[in-house]
Amino acid sequence: MTTAPAAVSTALQLTDVRKVYTMGDGSDVVALDHATLTLGSDEIVALVGPSGSGKTTLCSIAGGILSATEGTIVVGGEDISGHNAKELTKFRQDKVGFVFQSVNLVPFLNARENLLVVDELGKRTGAPARARADQLLEELGLADRAKNLPSQLSGGQRQRVAIGRALMNDPALVLFDEPTSALDTKLGEQVMELIQGEMKSRGIAAIVVTHDERITHYCDRSVHIVDGRLEA
Amino acid sequence: MFLAFKEMARAKVRFALLIAAIALLVFLILFQQSLQNGLITGFIGAIREQNAPVLVYSVDGQRVLQGSVITPDMEADILAAPGTGETGPIGQGTFTGLPSGNADGETFDTTLIGYVLGPDGNGIGAPTTVIDGRLPTADDEAVVSDADVALGYGIDDTVTLLPGGKQITIVGVAENAQLNVAPTLFVSYDTYLDAVKSVNPDAGTPLPNVLGVIPADGFSADEAVASINEQSLALDALTREDAAAETPGVAQVQQSFNIIFLLYGLVVPCVTGLFFLIVTFQKANSLTLLRAIGAPAGRLVSALLIQVVVIIAIGLAIGTLLYYPVSQQALGGIALQFETAAVIFWSVLLLSLGVLSSLVAARRVLRIDPIEATTGQGVGS
Amino acid sequence: MKLALKELRRRPGRFATATVILTLIAILLMFLGGLLDGLIASSTGAIRAQNADAIVYSDTAQASFVRSRIDPELRAQVEGVDGVTEVGGIGNVQLGARVPGNGPRDLASVALFGYELAPDGVPDAPAYGQAWADESIKADGVEEGMVIEVGPARTPIAIIGFVKDTNFNGQSSLWASPDTWRDTLSANRPDAQLGPDVFQALIVRGDGDDLPDTIDAATGGATDSYTVDEAVNAIPGVTEQQGTFNQIIGVTVAIALVVIGLFFALLTVERTSLYGVLKALGARSSTIFAGLVAQAVVVTAIAALIAGTLVVLLDLLLPPGSIPLLITPSRIILSVVLLLVAAVLGCSFSLRRVLRIDPASAIGTTS
Repeated sequence: MTTAPAAVSTALQLTDVRKVYTMGDGSDVVALDHATLTLGSDEIVALVGPSGSGKTTLCSIAGGILSATEGTIVVGGEDISGHNAKELTKFRQDKVGFVFQSVNLVPFLNARENLLVVDELGKRTGAPARARADQLLEELGLADRAKNLPSQLSGGQRQRVAIGRALMNDPALVLFDEPTSALDTKLGEQVMELIQGEMKSRGIAAIVVTHDERITHYCDRSVHIVDGRLEA
Repeated sequence: MFLAFKEMARAKVRFALLIAAIALLVFLILFQQSLQNGLITGFIGAIREQNAPVLVYSVDGQRVLQGSVITPDMEADILAAPGTGETGPIGQGTFTGLPSGNADGETFDTTLIGYVLGPDGNGIGAPTTVIDGRLPTADDEAVVSDADVALGYGIDDTVTLLPGGKQITIVGVAENAQLNVAPTLFVSYDTYLDAVKSVNPDAGTPLPNVLGVIPADGFSADEAVASINEQSLALDALTREDAAAETPGVAQVQQSFNIIFLLYGLVVPCVTGLFFLIVTFQKANSLTLLRAIGAPAGRLVSALLIQVVVIIAIGLAIGTLLYYPVSQQALGGIALQFETAAVIFWSVLLLSLGVLSSLVAARRVLRIDPIEATTGQGVGS
Repeated sequence: MKLALKELRRRPGRFATATVILTLIAILLMFLGGLLDGLIASSTGAIRAQNADAIVYSDTAQASFVRSRIDPELRAQVEGVDGVTEVGGIGNVQLGARVPGNGPRDLASVALFGYELAPDGVPDAPAYGQAWADESIKADGVEEGMVIEVGPARTPIAIIGFVKDTNFNGQSSLWASPDTWRDTLSANRPDAQLGPDVFQALIVRGDGDDLPDTIDAATGGATDSYTVDEAVNAIPGVTEQQGTFNQIIGVTVAIALVVIGLFFALLTVERTSLYGVLKALGARSSTIFAGLVAQAVVVTAIAALIAGTLVVLLDLLLPPGSIPLLITPSRIILSVVLLLVAAVLGCSFSLRRVLRIDPASAIGTTS
């Protein structure tokens, strides 16, 4: 079990973040309005809201996938507010992990290779990455599934591979997008237990985007979002 | 119809690339069709055009006019054959010619074909399709092939043979009457003899290269050929069509082009089939959705086929449009023509093959199960 | 890039059809090129083999042996030109040859040369009545030591050995002494016979920057001289064949480019969501595009390999003389290089789309 680097105390700091889209007819749509949010370095926060509430936008901005129109974003001590696309790309390689709703494993790579994708795309450390991948697979209970393709894995197993991939680069923050929406209650609970366990044991902060009130108790606190605005 | 066109409008680059590929392929195929026909006609057009139904070469000539020589003994053998009706000598030579109609004073390899004129210029060996002017009726007059007019061999132009300076006046134009892809003049036999002497004083009187033969009454051209060949192993009699087809090089040209056409022809349906198969996979979800909301499978397939037909038709049109100006040109002495028959043939062939190739994609469309709209599966992987 | 190559290895099926199409196109390129090379080689071998600084024809000959005459006075003029060191006469006649063992109507096409200065690869002129033969004549059943009968006069010529790549006008060349040639010419083509010491052309060796022009100037335009390369191009049909074939080959390469562009554009559309995920994980657009190009290059290389093998096989299986095909390594390499360039350029159609893929598309419901 690894412990998170204790260098920073907050994993995420959003201050007054605004995201405005200009539509084809010239009108503006405000997807996120004056969002302020702070996450401690090992906090798990549930981001709850109906569809279209802006939770995906917030997540995308926090993860450096989307640029904000206004506001400050600091992740793991790095201010990404003014980063250009290239800098954001590097940032994502190093500091953030994603677990997408539709899992999105690379279909022609086996479990182990899916974990190694991030290293392949970024630093290319080689042997250390492979060792870490094997260790993660072991810890996630997938050691005997290392050579299986996603099509040969169950839904829950694929979810675990995705989690492993998110942890590979030792991120400051992991973003979970609707991790249980495609799973039944029992499996959903298993996955949330796994997430909670992994995040806590490694001391990594996480945002879990969900509209499923059943799982919020696995998180340290819930933050509600409606029409682009955060409620305490 | 609506679906078909809407999709194409939304994905212009992809469909444009496919049309571009097909258009280029069609252009190349048609161009090479013109090239093949132009080459063959340029080589042996004169042989097909002259009026003798049977031509007798010497075996040593290997079915090439300039290599063949008919000695008096051979001529006697030919006359003795029961299938021989009337005969006339034909002589052929290649000379350097300076056509007066050429503004740049250029000289060209010029072929002279000499035949005995007869009373009206229509002796054995005369060209059959005079499209302008008239047949020669005296010495030093000539009928030229239509492809050569542009080079300066027009009616009333004179051609000066070098060295020696012998002059010949053009009085008529015949269709597709070239030999060896060079300007070709049909002249009287005496003009031909005179020409040979004028450029090479050392030459003796040349013997005829071939004898043109009209089959005797009651003999077909093939029967006349057989009866002449029986006379002597030194004789090589051929019908006019065979003489043209079996000139060395002609068969090679046709075989080479056949391989080329086969390959290009295969590429078109492969590209079309591949394109529509991939696109069908990509549209899987929307196709499933349409089926789920009630679109009949037949409608989806016909939308696909409409796209195929439209794409290939546009490709054919563009390819033919590109081909048209090129087909009007002369390529190094080969006169190209717009081959309407080829355009029709390839249009029908490529459309049929294209539709056939897209049936693979159509099969996939038919196998879509609407229930998969709810489970989120679809056609692809 | 490793990712892209892994996909190729794990999912060969999806690239199979594109590979088939590219193989067809590659075969076309190599076949067309081989046809061109074969036509040119068999027309021009005799001239290309000449070890000459100038080939001299008479002025109205249009670089054609048959219409050219160099009499002894003209030759003397050429010999006296500044810079000329050696002059040799050359002439030819094209006839059919009867080969022992072949049918009476089954003649071999030959071009009999009489020469004084030996071309490259050909020994000095043999004794009277003998000749070196281009090895292509073996396809007609000719063997060393055989006596063949040339022309309607059945002039006997003994074949004493073989040489390579010296054909002329698509016919097998025979290389003999000037007397052998001249007598054969008179016996078989009385209308074209030449006086003693008259040749059709001269092979000239010498120094000087522009020997052909110098010679023509010195003879006052009575001669028409060429360098070996110019003489090759003056052979009727050579430049036209090259021009036409190269145009066809060029358009075919363009077709390959469009086909590759099309196929990979389709593939990119299909992988949009995958690329979105990779970008979200930190892949740069350049990495993704490089992977695309790598796949295009590998697919093209495989197609070229298969095509090359098939074309070589076709060449071996073709009966000699049916199609003038000449398959050389340089032609195959050129075809492969052209295809690879087309592959890389064809991918450029997908570049814009790869650049535009937004990593944010990976998050949220995938439609």
